Amino acid sequence: MSDLSNLPSQQDAIAAALALYPARPFAVSDIGSQIGWLKAAGHDSRNLYVSGPMGLATSVALGLAAVRPNEQVLAIAGDGALAMNLTSLATIAGAKPKNLAILLVDNRVYEFTASVPTPTRELDWLAVGRAFFGADQCMRLSDLTPERWASITRPSMIVADVAPAPGKPPALGLTPAMIRLEFLKASR
Amino acid sequence: MAEQASGGDRLFRSIVAAKPKLVTGVPDGMLAQTIMLCEASPDFPYIACAREEECIGVACGAAMAGERAIVMVQNAGLLNSLGAFATMGLRYGLPFVIIVTNRGALADPNGYDIEKREAFDAGVRPMARVFDFDASDLPDDLIPAAFKWAEAARKPVILALEKRLGAEAAA
Repeated sequence: MSDLSNLPSQQDAIAAALALYPARPFAVSDIGSQIGWLKAAGHDSRNLYVSGPMGLATSVALGLAAVRPNEQVLAIAGDGALAMNLTSLATIAGAKPKNLAILLVDNRVYEFTASVPTPTRELDWLAVGRAFFGADQCMRLSDLTPERWASITRPSMIVADVAPAPGKPPALGLTPAMIRLEFLKASR
Repeated sequence: MAEQASGGDRLFRSIVAAKPKLVTGVPDGMLAQTIMLCEASPDFPYIACAREEECIGVACGAAMAGERAIVMVQNAGLLNSLGAFATMGLRYGLPFVIIVTNRGALADPNGYDIEKREAFDAGVRPMARVFDFDASDLPDDLIPAAFKWAEAARKPVILALEKRLGAEAAA
């Protein structure tokens, strides 16, 4: 991964993953750059912006998926964030939610923290995902079409290599009370 | 298992009475019977987490959708999860119930539990509402009452269950 310039932006990768679904899924994003880029990719009342701690989006998404089994849920995690909650992959693999997928956006840096390199920058996330979910349920975003995505069993994981942004992501501009109220209405 | 043979079933029945949408946890010896009953229950899913901090996230996900969720962990596990508890549970004002086995009591003097209890008192009680109970003598309406409190207060509530001197003889 020496040349990063040809990679999509995090915002474009999130938008592309959301576009795989025939209807808008619940999208649960991690604190830091994911919440900003999810909002930039398309603010929606079904977006759940997690304020902290870093890495918890996959767990929050699992709880949401469990209480809304007829809805699709997409957890959006950065490589630094998911590394902080790697055990959640084991929990999700064990719980086997039929409506939960994880989008791992790998830019190899803590983008919100001065783009300090992550310790996982040389990790093969595709191999990690396949170890937890199997080869048929973990694939690269660039290999997916809506038709193929519809045929893939959940829980599953999408790996997207993305380019580091030149600056910080856009500010969220929403308070926790606003996020909670809007999401509560959308998820009822 | 033997250490909570009577209280475990009673706690489970109180959980069922509260009609949660999910229960999640990481085992402790005092919770083992209740967890196995929850895993077998047709009334709600039990999500077995690998780490306690995940449990807080799972409960927050359910609570964000307006549903009742219960977390069951040991005191050391909640200590591992205080960042999640504060930045999700408290920050978003989410009314879920955390059942904590508060190990290291006078009647529960394992050497490896003593500092957990002291850290629980020092770290958890200043930031959250904790109600304390004798694990062998739980009220039948404990969990429904805890949800009513949490929903009125708009924040999580912690139920600390402990072994008490003389409790087994009384039970």
